[in-house]
Amino acid sequence: MIEPLETENFFRHQYGKLVAALTKRVGIQFLDRIEDAAQSALLKGLEKWSVERSKTNHEPNSSIPDNPSAWLFKVATNYLLDDLRQKSNRERLLIENSQRFIENLENSNSVPKSGQFNDDLLDLLFKSCHPEVPIESQLVFALKLICGFSNKEIAFRLFISEENAYKRFSRARKKLEEVNPSYHELSIVELVNRLLAVNKVLYLLFTEGYLSTHHNQSIRKELCCEALRLCLLVAEFLSKQSGKVTDLNLLTNTSQTYALIALMYFHLARLTARQNHSGGLLLLQEQDRSLWDKTNIFSGFQWLEKSSIGNNFSRYHAEAGIAAEHCLAKTYAETRWKEIVEIYALLEKKSPSAIHRLNHAVAIAEWKGPMAALDFLSEYKPPSWSQSSFMWSAVLADLHKQNGNEEVADQYQNQALDLAPNDQLREMLLRRLANSNKR
Amino acid sequence: MSNKTYMCIMRKPEGENQKCEPPSPDQMEQMYAKFNAWKDKFKENIIDMGGKLGEGKVVTTEGAIDGPFMEVKEVVGGYMIVSAATMEEAVLVAQESPGVFPGSSVEVREISQP
Repeated sequence: MIEPLETENFFRHQYGKLVAALTKRVGIQFLDRIEDAAQSALLKGLEKWSVERSKTNHEPNSSIPDNPSAWLFKVATNYLLDDLRQKSNRERLLIENSQRFIENLENSNSVPKSGQFNDDLLDLLFKSCHPEVPIESQLVFALKLICGFSNKEIAFRLFISEENAYKRFSRARKKLEEVNPSYHELSIVELVNRLLAVNKVLYLLFTEGYLSTHHNQSIRKELCCEALRLCLLVAEFLSKQSGKVTDLNLLTNTSQTYALIALMYFHLARLTARQNHSGGLLLLQEQDRSLWDKTNIFSGFQWLEKSSIGNNFSRYHAEAGIAAEHCLAKTYAETRWKEIVEIYALLEKKSPSAIHRLNHAVAIAEWKGPMAALDFLSEYKPPSWSQSSFMWSAVLADLHKQNGNEEVADQYQNQALDLAPNDQLREMLLRRLANSNKR
Repeated sequence: MSNKTYMCIMRKPEGENQKCEPPSPDQMEQMYAKFNAWKDKFKENIIDMGGKLGEGKVVTTEGAIDGPFMEVKEVVGGYMIVSAATMEEAVLVAQESPGVFPGSSVEVREISQP
């Protein structure tokens, strides 16, 4: 018996493959029709396979073809061909173009091999990470077309309205139609340059899942796993390219992808242990380390080792390194804070941000005490945007409390509680602050 | 895509990682050692380990005024002063830096080492 979630994943992933393979063949300007064709093929598959199953009463999977992707591809291609033919009859303006695409589809009657499906998927991913498409649109675009989520599912996962999800998607689509001529193949240079954007969107996808405050844990995990799945595909794709070109930038950017994978594995390993039974968040100190997934941690170290090449220590290297340190520490007390502080210093040089600085400060406090951390932060102004100003106040409250400055601590505490974006964080903060002065 | 919860298909999603024996802590330390050694190459770039601060100093980007982007310049400027990196390295940094830097200019400060 298979989990419903896995079935859902199966269909989502098939959807992504179909859309990518067809887009590769006829171009992004037919995206509407491609999506129709993909959905129609999946529905046919569902009907056919369910019916056969109930008729024969065999094992559940007996009626599924050996290569469902190929079967679905054929069905979707036929649907799309019919659709384009009708379209070209109706709208004379498009005849010329459609005719070309129809020929192209008919000629590509050989079904792509499994690896080809993935290449098409990545082709679409790289194309959608165009510098002129806003990153939040890239994210929705990838979730919809490559991961196969509906607008409603995306809205639910990203805490945005369905309308907003649709808007972001349309924006990406419109821009991509403008900038991507249908037969444009990305050159290796373009691939290398786009890789950073691809890494970023996958990082964001992972973070959305990881930091999400959804009560349903499987929803959170799902986004993280999607990000990891795509990242692994990208890595596989890159290792194929590296034989063809000896490009220093490719090596450098590839090592970032590897580090990103390591980072994802380390965090995934701790995902379950981060929560208590009622879905509340647990502080690192409170987590049961025996629940950390050893297999994922091992994979993390494998990829981290692999990523240690080239001459660029990227933010992903830094973040993976910090996560690795935590995974190596047998207990909270044994954490090597000095090493972590060192990596934070590298991270801040790579990408200075208020968030990094705050985390850095917390690590300093653990290593050298609250006074050193307060000194460190005193040089900076708190950030203006609300999410990080919440954290800024929270950290200052914590540090002042540890340092015995009760009055100042209370001020920051009230500020932080006012600014906290949700109850879970508010509750965790109160718990932490209640313990701060005892430490 | 609407009706999808009742089907039973025995298939592993692609790209799922293979299960393997969990490693011993020693093994993990060994794997980590390579990363650590590699990381140490970049350590000379670190000026701020969180030691007590000396006088704060904000370095502006004189001497690196050409180029269209404020952010890039500030990073490049800061980077070059800190670590005397090559332009290539600086460009790499800039490539992956987010467009927005809180506190605008690059902060370089004298540190009395811990």
